[in-house]
Amino acid sequence: MIQKKICMLGGFAVGKTSLVKRLISGMFSEKYLTTVGVKIDQKSLSVCGQDLLLVLWDLYGDDDFQKVRASYLQGASGYILVIDGTRKETVEVAGKLHELARKTIGPVPFVLLLNKHDLVNEWVVESPMVSDLSDQACLVSMVSAKTGEGVEAAFSALSEAMLKS
Amino acid sequence: MSGSLPDPSFLSVFDALIFQKTAERFDHLGDLPSWFPPPGLRQEIDLPPGQLVDRSFFLQHFLHEAEEWWESGKRGQCKSGLWSEPALFGEDVVLEATAVRHRSLRYVILQRFGPDFLPIQPLLQKAREEQLSHRQAVNQHERIEAQLGSRLAKSEQERDDVMAVLDGLGLGTIMLNANRDVTFISGKARELLQTDPARMIGRTLVEGSPWKPADSVRVEEMGRLPGSQRQVVPVVMDRKNRSATALEVEVQDDPRDPRKTILLLKDVSEMEALRRQLVGPTQFHNLVGKCPAMRAVYERIGDIAVVDVPVLIDGETGTGKELVARALHQLSPRHEHPFLPVNCAGLTDSLLGSQLFGHKRGAFTGATSDHEGFFESAEGGTLLLDEIGDMPLSIQTTLLRVLQEGEIIRLGESRPRKVNVRVLAATNQPLQELVDKGVFRADLLYRIRVARLRLPPLRERREDIPLLSTAFFEKSRVAFGKMQVLGMAPETMQRFLRYSWPGNVRELQAALEYALIHCRSEIILPTDLPPELCDVFPAVQSSPFLKSNERQRILDALAQTKGKRAQAAKLVGMSRSTFYRRLTELNISQEESSR
Ligand SMILES: Nc1nc2c(ncn2[C@@H]2O[C@H](COP(=O)(O)OP(=O)(O)O)[C@@H](O)[C@H]2O)c(=O)[nH]1
Repeated sequence: MIQKKICMLGGFAVGKTSLVKRLISGMFSEKYLTTVGVKIDQKSLSVCGQDLLLVLWDLYGDDDFQKVRASYLQGASGYILVIDGTRKETVEVAGKLHELARKTIGPVPFVLLLNKHDLVNEWVVESPMVSDLSDQACLVSMVSAKTGEGVEAAFSALSEAMLKS
Repeated sequence: MSGSLPDPSFLSVFDALIFQKTAERFDHLGDLPSWFPPPGLRQEIDLPPGQLVDRSFFLQHFLHEAEEWWESGKRGQCKSGLWSEPALFGEDVVLEATAVRHRSLRYVILQRFGPDFLPIQPLLQKAREEQLSHRQAVNQHERIEAQLGSRLAKSEQERDDVMAVLDGLGLGTIMLNANRDVTFISGKARELLQTDPARMIGRTLVEGSPWKPADSVRVEEMGRLPGSQRQVVPVVMDRKNRSATALEVEVQDDPRDPRKTILLLKDVSEMEALRRQLVGPTQFHNLVGKCPAMRAVYERIGDIAVVDVPVLIDGETGTGKELVARALHQLSPRHEHPFLPVNCAGLTDSLLGSQLFGHKRGAFTGATSDHEGFFESAEGGTLLLDEIGDMPLSIQTTLLRVLQEGEIIRLGESRPRKVNVRVLAATNQPLQELVDKGVFRADLLYRIRVARLRLPPLRERREDIPLLSTAFFEKSRVAFGKMQVLGMAPETMQRFLRYSWPGNVRELQAALEYALIHCRSEIILPTDLPPELCDVFPAVQSSPFLKSNERQRILDALAQTKGKRAQAAKLVGMSRSTFYRRLTELNISQEESSR
């Protein structure tokens, strides 16, 4: 079976852990438990008739307290950039992490996810703010770890892109 | 084993899994930790612990890093950083791998932390939660701000829409706050008021509006009444060089806050003009008045103006006889020719004769040149013979002949000259009585009163007093440059309405001018009025008090004008001839009058 390493990148509390949890177990928890260190999960998928094992590296959020170690990105075939649609500042963090990924592993496929789309009333991130990232992503999608909206599709799209590249 | 290393069993105190890297294998040293095998390996009991490295995605990754570090010859240790891998080690288990070197030997130490052994977790958790909640608060503020902003924009939009509708309906809007200060003026209201809104905002209507204070007060008072008792307040704004604007002001409570008031202004100027046409004129060729008697006069003037016959205009002094004569002339086919008024009172025979008919040089003493009389000067036009009752008999005779023959002879000449002049006569004396006394020729009377017009005295048309006062007030206010005076106090008007006005309209005009000159406030008070009006009771013209009062008034006027009679006459509101007659009647001597 083909194995692919995928990194989850984004500021803290944007929902990386929740997205992975939703993908793997179909569950969601409102309780915020910050991720300490790297968390590794795996998920087997079948994409375009190919069985695939995704090894998901959930890299703790990048902030003043913890910096993502570039070495963790090594060997990734793709990554998922997560932005919290209700927090503008997470756009900037995503931008920085994207640059770090480019520098470390080169132009591998990535998807850009605007998470927490269930919170439409609190939504503040407009598409022009993320246009730079959108242009390069193989998929830009509004998703919700809470409702599951768009989650599986996002992982499938990235897997497909990784298989093709 | 080297003696310098402690017994590997000592390492068990760390509860760690320790591997020694040899060639391609990982051999574990010492005792296995309590947590081995981890949940992911429990099915495979015989698996050598070294296989754990192959099963962990993270360890494989880390060993690349460790390899580089071992090769680099750096001292110390190489740490993997914390990680978890639930599928292999179980939920809530965090591990850390450390690569060390001792001489040429390479070791990997694998430590496991349960939730209780990770002091960094709660700290990090707290810090991030705080940051999140702060961010949430900021977001909420921003959201509320944005919401308020858009709500404000929306309500402004709605207000603009309402205003546009009101403007479209021709309704001006003014809003007053609880203190009755103006807080808002719509575009249409600005247009109707023709005023700078900055002058009005923050002030009351009395202070800021271009309305007469009395009107502003009425509008404000209407707002204090309960809604059911309110009525529309008519407000007329007279403007310099422009026709007056008639407004109807409706006073309403602000439905959102009944302490506030909304005024709706409707321009009814057109309606007002129509109404005036329906009700009839309040003004006619400078004659002011709308009472039935005056309307009859206007109508009669219209009728007889076009008939080319003499007219006798009969009315007390100051009733406006000359204005009637002018109107008759204006409305007649003669209006493009001269109109000449001649006062027949107070002139000697020869002087009046020469004035009317002209004279030849040397005709009498002082006739130093040929002189054309009024009859010739007025050729084609109209001649008004005022105070005709005072005309000397000899002149009456000549006049009668002129009227019959249509020709005059200048004094000192014998040649008749054709004249084409319409004669109007005015009198304040009952001519029939003069005929009876033998001082007026009956045939002349019949001749000049082919058509007759009687002007009512002011006391018989008191209803016109407010109209007349307003007209004179506005005129004099401008003429005297007393624009700061804005109106008349109601008590002033009361006096006017009660006074007997022996001098009629002319006296009223003079009284107003007097009051305006004396007025020091914004409103004409009764104390500003001439003395005879200060103490008004329903007076009778012939009351001795009034007479004496009038005597004093005439003396005052003469004193004020330094003996100039014409000016004094004006001041007391009498025609010159009446004034002269009063001087005689009141026994005011030459000496007294020039004091
Ligand atoms: N409403 C909502 N909350 C979410 C969603 N995704 C994550 N969260 C919440 O956001 C917080 C942070 O999520 P987490 O997955 O721990 O973020 P991470 O730090 O990026 O891994 C948690 O309280 C989650 O319950 C979502 O799609 N909708």
